[in-house]
Amino acid sequence: MSAQPRRPGTEPDPDGPQATAGIPPAAPHEATAGILPAAPHEAAAGVPPASQRAGEGGMGRGVWARRQAGEHSASRALGVTERFGLVFLLVAEIVLFSVLPKTSSTFLTVQNFRTVAANQSVLSIAALASILPLTGGNFDLSVGAVALLSDIACAAATANFHAPLAAAIVVAIAIGAAIGLMNGVIVAKAGVIALITTLGTFYVIIGVLLWYTGGNAIVTGIPTALTNVNVQLWLGVPEIAVFMIISALVVWYLLAHTPWGRYLHAVGSNPVAARLVGIAIDRVVILSFVASGTFAAIAGVLELANSGSAFPNVNNASGLLLPALASAFLGATTIRPGRFNVLGTLVGVFFIAVAVQGLTLAGVADWVQYVLYGATLVAAVAISSIIRRQRAAGR
Amino acid sequence: MLYLDGLSKSFPGTRALSDVDLDVRGGEIHALVGANGSGKSTLVKILAGVYRPDGGVIRVGDRVFGGGLSPSEARAVGLHFVHQDLAVFTDLSVADNIAIGRGFDTDPLGRIRWRSVRRHTSRVLDRFHIAARPDTPVGALRPSDRTMVAIARALQDQEGQDSGVLVLDEPTTSLPDADVGLLIAALRRFAEAGQSMLFISHDIDEALSFVDRVSVLRDGRKVATLDAPRADRDQVVELITGRPVGRLYPAPQRPDGGARLQVRNVSVGPVRDVSFDVLAGEIVGLAGLIGSGASEILQAIFRARPPRGGSVAVDGAALGDRPRDAIAAGVSYLPAERSRAGFFDAGVRENLSAPEVARYWKYLFMSMGRERADARATIARFGIRATSEEQNLALLSGGNQQKVMLARWLRRDPRVLLLDEPTQGVDVGARAEVYELIRAAADRGTAVLLVTVDFEEIAGLCDRALVINDGRVVAELHKPGIDHQRLTELALRRLEKGTTP
Repeated sequence: MSAQPRRPGTEPDPDGPQATAGIPPAAPHEATAGILPAAPHEAAAGVPPASQRAGEGGMGRGVWARRQAGEHSASRALGVTERFGLVFLLVAEIVLFSVLPKTSSTFLTVQNFRTVAANQSVLSIAALASILPLTGGNFDLSVGAVALLSDIACAAATANFHAPLAAAIVVAIAIGAAIGLMNGVIVAKAGVIALITTLGTFYVIIGVLLWYTGGNAIVTGIPTALTNVNVQLWLGVPEIAVFMIISALVVWYLLAHTPWGRYLHAVGSNPVAARLVGIAIDRVVILSFVASGTFAAIAGVLELANSGSAFPNVNNASGLLLPALASAFLGATTIRPGRFNVLGTLVGVFFIAVAVQGLTLAGVADWVQYVLYGATLVAAVAISSIIRRQRAAGR
Repeated sequence: MLYLDGLSKSFPGTRALSDVDLDVRGGEIHALVGANGSGKSTLVKILAGVYRPDGGVIRVGDRVFGGGLSPSEARAVGLHFVHQDLAVFTDLSVADNIAIGRGFDTDPLGRIRWRSVRRHTSRVLDRFHIAARPDTPVGALRPSDRTMVAIARALQDQEGQDSGVLVLDEPTTSLPDADVGLLIAALRRFAEAGQSMLFISHDIDEALSFVDRVSVLRDGRKVATLDAPRADRDQVVELITGRPVGRLYPAPQRPDGGARLQVRNVSVGPVRDVSFDVLAGEIVGLAGLIGSGASEILQAIFRARPPRGGSVAVDGAALGDRPRDAIAAGVSYLPAERSRAGFFDAGVRENLSAPEVARYWKYLFMSMGRERADARATIARFGIRATSEEQNLALLSGGNQQKVMLARWLRRDPRVLLLDEPTQGVDVGARAEVYELIRAAADRGTAVLLVTVDFEEIAGLCDRALVINDGRVVAELHKPGIDHQRLTELALRRLEKGTTP
């Protein structure tokens, strides 16, 4: 079993035309003297024409170029559909619920948009946390548990130990980073696959939390300075959503504008090749888990701000993890298809959130959102895969 | 037993087999020998039903196949194959391995009848004289017995030993010397019992020592079939290379000083204690058969595979032991199988800058503009045909992919360039361009070390060739005295143990 998260539709099809290029058929290595620059007069007469070992076989370069030019515009149109398909659908959703008689009065209101943005902030940050290890080819299943841990740590520090809020937040985030470091070291140094490592971390964290809290929620003594984040506005935007935007900018910066982000892409794409271009794979992978733990912990602190209390419940952890991963994979089909990317991840989160909110306002039953979630995820990845395969075939 | 009549097969641009006749008699061990690329493996694949021949007839017993046969027909008429990598499961027991070849014996509920499986295995082990119990894991067997298990698995359902043909594709390459003798004795025993065999090999001495007849393939043609006991090995080598056997060249001259790359006493894979230098501006080819260890030498130099011993220095400074250290010292490595070990699922630009991303990080941001401009300049300079610098590498042709892989390193003007099969999967036109890029790099002072099984390429491109045989450098040829027949001859030559020419 491979624990590499499969990037939607990006795997070069092993049977596809491009993959065969690397494998010479039984075609013998023969008779090439005529085209070697340093040996111009050794051109072997009577020897069969030099072998064309590649999968492109006998196709002359002229035909090649023409084919490429002809399909260029077609593939570009496919490319735009692929890149912005989900964005169009998100816009279409908003338009639909804005004109639908049942929802138009409540949906298209500033208050409604604020509610959706605030409610999705924690999930968005958890999803952003998960795309960091995913980019390097590693699942992090501990994201939800780390968020819950930091949620409870922050609550306990302020409510039970009367620590200043700032100190409590620093401690909570430091714990998240430390868990990430531990995950990273186990994955990179001990060579345990990330899926197993972080599944183990998930359960250990839940167990320790149940032991520490005795299963009781921390409901009193949470500083109002924190819980106000949920209600206060900053330039008309809920403060909690401002944190989401800042987190998104930071993750975007890390992935797109640091050498580390580029190394992480390289490791996730082809670890063998990454080593051969001199990338320090261990360090890159460990850092991805530290970053993931840090952002998961930030999500946890904001969850405390959001709910005003901390419940040590395994469902709170898995209930954050699964939609976070689903959004990450949904996001990898859009904006930069085939890559986990920040904007795509946010589109993924809000595509689902808007649909759920709209349907709720329309009075549709609860269970529909789960079906919608699952079906959208599979459909988006499937469509993305098909588009890519067609493009590869028509190259 | 097996008759081939006028068998031909072409691939785009090459004639892999032309008009090959061959017959394997009942109870005969028939060797098929030839150089790399002579058509041996194409012939095996046609027999196995992997390829359809373009023309010719295959007859097995009394069944005649005009247009080739399918894999299941091959099995049905009794053509059995044992390949160089045996495809045995070392973690599983002998019984499991043997049962996997024919399906497990199950009761109506689908449960495996273990007793019957074990009984069958014991019978098979007895019949093939394999000293193992059904429960022994195959990994615990000695190498020759693993090969025997693979043979037993192939032949288990054959009624007697006088029907069908066993095709053995280089079965002795990976065996220790002591085990080769055991395997050969077992094969002789099968032949006495009436089993017909086609034995594919590039080891002429070994083949001549025990087979009945030997057929030689050269450039896709069968050039001769000889009675092995009366065949002379020099005569066979001559048939394989198509030219008379010459003397070995005089002892290699050590270049005096100025060596860019110094390899000293390196042992890695099958290679023992190899030393050589590559001068600045020189292209040196390592010629060896597949499995000779030439590729492993490149990996050891680049630190992609830790050598068992020895040292490597670039311009007099010893290399550290990680690929990163090698890169820092100016060593570049182009691995074979670029899709597995070379490129990333990303655009041309990102693939080009993968080893030097940090160079583009200025004032806390990646300077995309500079990176893009560099990528465009590289694309133009190296003649890479891509729709833009962002086009995904997987969508480029093989030749252009390889140019990107080369350009990734060459634009840094490396001090040492290690190339493993640089024209694998590259079409003819692009190949010439790849050769020009390599030559141009050497002209700028890069020391180039090339490994390829295409000896014609070494002959054409290299200033000097080192022949690897039996784990050592056995000969050194200098331009213009390098030609591919001589390289083939030297790489094939069976050496007396413990002597160096």
